[in-house]
Amino acid sequence: MGQNTTTTPIDLSVDLAGVHLINPVMTASGTSGFGPEYAAFLDISSLGAFVTKAVTPEERRGNPQPRTVETAAGMLNAIGLANVGLERFCREKVGYLSGLGIPIVVNVAGRNADDYANVCRRLDEIECLSILELNVSCPNVSDGLDYGTDAGRLEALVAHVRPFVRRAKLMVKLSPNVTDITATARAAVNGGAEILSLINTLQGMAINVETRKPMLANRVGGLSGPAIKPVAVCMTDKVYRAVARDAGVPIVAMGGIQNWRDAVEFMLAGATAVAVGTMLFVDPTVPIQIREGLTDYCHRHGLSAVRNIVGQVDR
Amino acid sequence: MPVMNHSNCEPSIHPRLIDATVIANTLICREHFRITFECADMTGARAGQFVHLAPARSASHPSDTIGTNWSPVPLLRRAFSIAGLVAAAPDRCHIDVIYRVVGTATRWMASLRVGDSLSVMGPLGNCFPLSTGKRHAWMVAGGVGLPPMLWLAEALRGADRDGIAFVGARSRDLLALTVDRNVPVSIDGTRASPAAREFARHEVPVVISTDDGTFGFAGRIGGALRAYFAAAGVPADDLVVYTCGPEAMMADAARFCAERGIECHVCMERAMACGTGTCQSCVVAVHEPSAVDGWRYELCCTQGPVFDAGRVIWSGVGGAVQH
Repeated sequence: MGQNTTTTPIDLSVDLAGVHLINPVMTASGTSGFGPEYAAFLDISSLGAFVTKAVTPEERRGNPQPRTVETAAGMLNAIGLANVGLERFCREKVGYLSGLGIPIVVNVAGRNADDYANVCRRLDEIECLSILELNVSCPNVSDGLDYGTDAGRLEALVAHVRPFVRRAKLMVKLSPNVTDITATARAAVNGGAEILSLINTLQGMAINVETRKPMLANRVGGLSGPAIKPVAVCMTDKVYRAVARDAGVPIVAMGGIQNWRDAVEFMLAGATAVAVGTMLFVDPTVPIQIREGLTDYCHRHGLSAVRNIVGQVDR
Repeated sequence: MPVMNHSNCEPSIHPRLIDATVIANTLICREHFRITFECADMTGARAGQFVHLAPARSASHPSDTIGTNWSPVPLLRRAFSIAGLVAAAPDRCHIDVIYRVVGTATRWMASLRVGDSLSVMGPLGNCFPLSTGKRHAWMVAGGVGLPPMLWLAEALRGADRDGIAFVGARSRDLLALTVDRNVPVSIDGTRASPAAREFARHEVPVVISTDDGTFGFAGRIGGALRAYFAAAGVPADDLVVYTCGPEAMMADAARFCAERGIECHVCMERAMACGTGTCQSCVVAVHEPSAVDGWRYELCCTQGPVFDAGRVIWSGVGGAVQH
């Protein structure tokens, strides 16, 4: 990086339904805790936005361990939405997040529509929380996947939550574990989603052949990491062309992003912003490297603003 | 009796993410290697802490302009207890890690040569509490639980404790110690001797066991521990036990201590992705009176790896830790 000698400033900022991001690089839910965990390695305030781990109405201990296992170019996880719960989140976590000075996205999960609505209503009151992301696609708890894989139920859920999100923007995270992701994307938009995020993890399983036991205590988990990137790019492309572009709904894309090249790929497919997940575990500075790489890419391609590449893959 | 408190072992250094250079990587016994690497100074680290290792980015690609790919293997970092750390001038240090080749990551590590780079995140986790007020400090290690004890032995000497190391292995050729052939080793477990050079240089004698009886005490290290305790006459209230190794071995050592009122600290191992408290993989179930049902999960990476043995709820499931 920093090889270029031109002084033309590159505009890395993007807009998510009116929420201004200084650059398009975010964290993915569940991979960076509630903020302070990476403070030793990463200046979070230099990101476009920060996305928290899922918050549920009640505190959850999560699944028994083993909760994660590495697979080829990826990992399976079955954490089970372990989190401190809504009240402790508001009491103990918001203070730190509000000091970051960048848009904060809170991932919201629950057992039923009222759970989602109650969490959203409470969080909507907190000024520094810019976007609420409905986690309808966590494959590791039996109570979320139904919403994410059934277009009709998803639209009803989003429509139910919609009136309780007045100040913040409403984002819906789509599951890849469906036959046609454009159907659930359309349902989310019809229900009132202002931003779409995709993809959540792909359901997967690994078995220890010596012991014949599943590698995860939960038997199955969600696959993430570089292994799923082509799937995620494909789904981003589909959702952008079939739903998001015409609806004017921006996409936050994720799935195995390791570097600026991956980020550009997702943006060309139609993503307005990108989120780094699994690779944060390997190197928490990846988002910073991506930001620098995007600047370099824009210089090399004569782009004044990175947003100009959104959806610009050749058709 | 002082309160068992893991807050009295605060490391004095924040974790870093740095590249290191391999300066040695040698086979020390069957399947076990000792790798030594040089990196930015981490001398504020403490025994019990770990480093989280991955291939260096520069090792796979000369320039980031083509985009860093961490894949194919290993993708995630792997956590290893620090087995030794010495300052190397100026502002540098040498870190020892001992590993057994059991999977893709350790196979990668075994392929590293002098001068190669690797990425180091650390030091991470808490450390063994030394300010226990106990005269006698016994280290009980099984298999790959040995490495943190090597560094703890040095720390205990600095703290003026009377240390003894109990080291168990499946068989003699899996014992990752340099044994002095001229020093006798107890076969009934009742005597400790300076037979292992790594401990002897810190004036710590050892009791060694092998499951198959090919060296030292025949059987599990817990058997040797009981035999030694019965013969030694060390008062339980003036003894602290530190243990690291397979889950069943640690549970046994913890049970031995609990039955006698001996203070015990366990260094746990769990499948771990981030090492910094974000991924929530590495949970250890602990007794917690204030929690629902009297227990909760704590994270091995940030609230451990060292736990008060009396708090740990032993499930018999050690976790499928990939190395």
